[in-house]
Amino acid sequence: MTKEITLESAPDLRRIYATAALRRGSSSDTLPDVRVSRAGIRVDLDQLVAYSHVCRFPVDGILPATYPHLVAFPLQMSVMSGDRFPLPLMGAVHVENRIEVRRPIGTDEVLDVSVWAQDLRPHRRGRQVDLLSEVSVRGEVVWTGVSTYLSRSREHPEAPVSEPPSVGPLGSGGGGPVWRLGEGTGRAYAAVSGDWNPIHVHALTARPLGFPSAIAHGMYTYARTLSSLGPRLPGAGLTSRVWFRKPVRLPSTVRLRSVFEVGRTLSALEGARGEVEHAVVENTW
Amino acid sequence: MAPHSTPRTSRRVAVLGGNRIPFARSNGKYAKASNQDMLTATVDGLVARYGLAGERLGEVVAGAVLKHSRDFNLTRETVLGTRLDPRTPAYDIQQACGTGLEAAILVANKIAVGQVDAGIAGGVDSASDAPIAVSEGLRQTLLAANRARSAVDRAKALAGLRPGHLLPAIPENVEPRTGLSMGEHMALTAAQWGITREAQDELAAASHQKLAAAYDRGFFDDLVTPYLGVSRDTNLRPDSSVEKLSTLKPVFGKGDGATMTAGNSTPLTDGASAVLLASEDWAAEHRLTPLAWFVDAETAAVDYVHGEEGLLMAPAYAVPRLLARNGLSLQDFDFYEIHEAFAATVLTTLKAWEDPDFCKARLGLDGPLGSIDRSKLNVNGSSLAAGHPFAATGGRIVASLAKQLNEAGGGRGLISICAAGGQGVVAILEA
Repeated sequence: MTKEITLESAPDLRRIYATAALRRGSSSDTLPDVRVSRAGIRVDLDQLVAYSHVCRFPVDGILPATYPHLVAFPLQMSVMSGDRFPLPLMGAVHVENRIEVRRPIGTDEVLDVSVWAQDLRPHRRGRQVDLLSEVSVRGEVVWTGVSTYLSRSREHPEAPVSEPPSVGPLGSGGGGPVWRLGEGTGRAYAAVSGDWNPIHVHALTARPLGFPSAIAHGMYTYARTLSSLGPRLPGAGLTSRVWFRKPVRLPSTVRLRSVFEVGRTLSALEGARGEVEHAVVENTW
Repeated sequence: MAPHSTPRTSRRVAVLGGNRIPFARSNGKYAKASNQDMLTATVDGLVARYGLAGERLGEVVAGAVLKHSRDFNLTRETVLGTRLDPRTPAYDIQQACGTGLEAAILVANKIAVGQVDAGIAGGVDSASDAPIAVSEGLRQTLLAANRARSAVDRAKALAGLRPGHLLPAIPENVEPRTGLSMGEHMALTAAQWGITREAQDELAAASHQKLAAAYDRGFFDDLVTPYLGVSRDTNLRPDSSVEKLSTLKPVFGKGDGATMTAGNSTPLTDGASAVLLASEDWAAEHRLTPLAWFVDAETAAVDYVHGEEGLLMAPAYAVPRLLARNGLSLQDFDFYEIHEAFAATVLTTLKAWEDPDFCKARLGLDGPLGSIDRSKLNVNGSSLAAGHPFAATGGRIVASLAKQLNEAGGGRGLISICAAGGQGVVAILEA
């Protein structure tokens, strides 16, 4: 029997991060049968504009494809910080994400969100779990998200690998946007997304968690990718997947390289000289 | 006045003449002159040359690419500072490096349909007297403080100030959507098209030699008015040669394949230009002889953001459309003015028109547009030698080509100008 938890307001992520540091995660092999929901959410337009500016989306009355993730994310954290959740929240790495935009969502629509965990499974470097998010408007599911988080622990070399498609060699044009991501990139995105995970905020807060410098939020570089592809992506019927490969250490300069096919785009976010692949993004419709 | 019951037929548009100040390398002779200073001097020089003092023109259209917020009405403010009748209307436009030619197109179109009889098109830019903005953090903080209704709220807003906010934001010469400078974009395209260093240096040296020769034979005597002690473009190196240019180190592109140097790329430049356009009747009434006719124009844009096309390739698309509309081939011209943003831009454009695959796949043509007679290209030098104050280049080229066509006793000329944002503006003049 699924335990339904209904939240009246968004959980405070800073508090979750502060207390998560103390929690180890249970050693259980099963996911708690919990579904966390929040109803009647109205988009804070000031915050939406700030988010759109940071991620370079146009402010046009339609929610960016990645925006509902912001609404679902605190609920994900709430699920993952629960006592019986088998993985520790601190140190969890966002390795993959899938978004399905069924139809455009207007900025004035009232959203109902629910989140649950599913498919706890081995990963080569530990264990991973999917956090499913569903956004509905008056009973109609308009957006779904699957966020896959890895918690490093005992290695499972035999675990199946989720390999992203290859973008192939650099085209003859060689172009594609170049982004100079400053040291404060993580703080700027934290301010508009509410995700103050210390690994993104500052080198001093990232180091205790094993990173030599702050790293960019995966959902930030992913959002920048989608905003850069812009009107080439449809507003409805879009399935977008991202594989986060190597973290983007801040500051750094990255380059986006894309190929376009009928009903599909494939992009690689790489180091400026192509030396490291940070993320692969595939959009299909 | 009674409205016309039937549409007017198109009128011929005459290029009567032009004026510019010598172009100066940035942070040089014009370092402290503002856009309005330079444009006023340029328009006033044109007014003096063609006896337009006290004349109420149909309109003056001009623009600048690098613009201070105080210059919101730059062209109208300029007109009020000239000897033109102050009742002459004016407006600003901005289409990056296409600004000057686009201004001429707008004036020419109004003349052609009979909305105005005469007008001035111009452009100005200062890379020296550039606007500097406060940082985004400071700007947002100050705006929040300005919105605050009470002293306490204002103090709260100002408490958000951080030391880092005090660093100014200096305008960058980069494409906002790619983060690459124009030179970096061009270097990618040049490498893709296999444009050699030698070919670029040859084009650059020729540009200097031809501009110097044109000055020496007095070609610019009625096109250029000295300004602030400058009588020739300060970037001009009459003794430029391939040997000298070959010693320069590449500044754009990567590794051994880098070919673009400060010598075969245009420098940042300050300057202004203006051209006088009119109907045939207006010209006759004012006893002015048309140098050439402004026949037609076309603009194009390419999708360069993800590298599918080069940033500066749009003129390659605009020209075939213009040719088709006018029933011309690429070879039906006596003079070609292809703006030398970079030597590689000119060479890539010409190579693309010679390339059967590009012309078929990208331009949708049956075959290549073909080669041009290089002796007809930029015969009086171009931007590599003169410099390139962004919005002023169109006016420089229109006036020079019109005079060249007139001197030659007739003929047809093609103008091609690439612009930021993947745009291109092209036009045909005839005499």
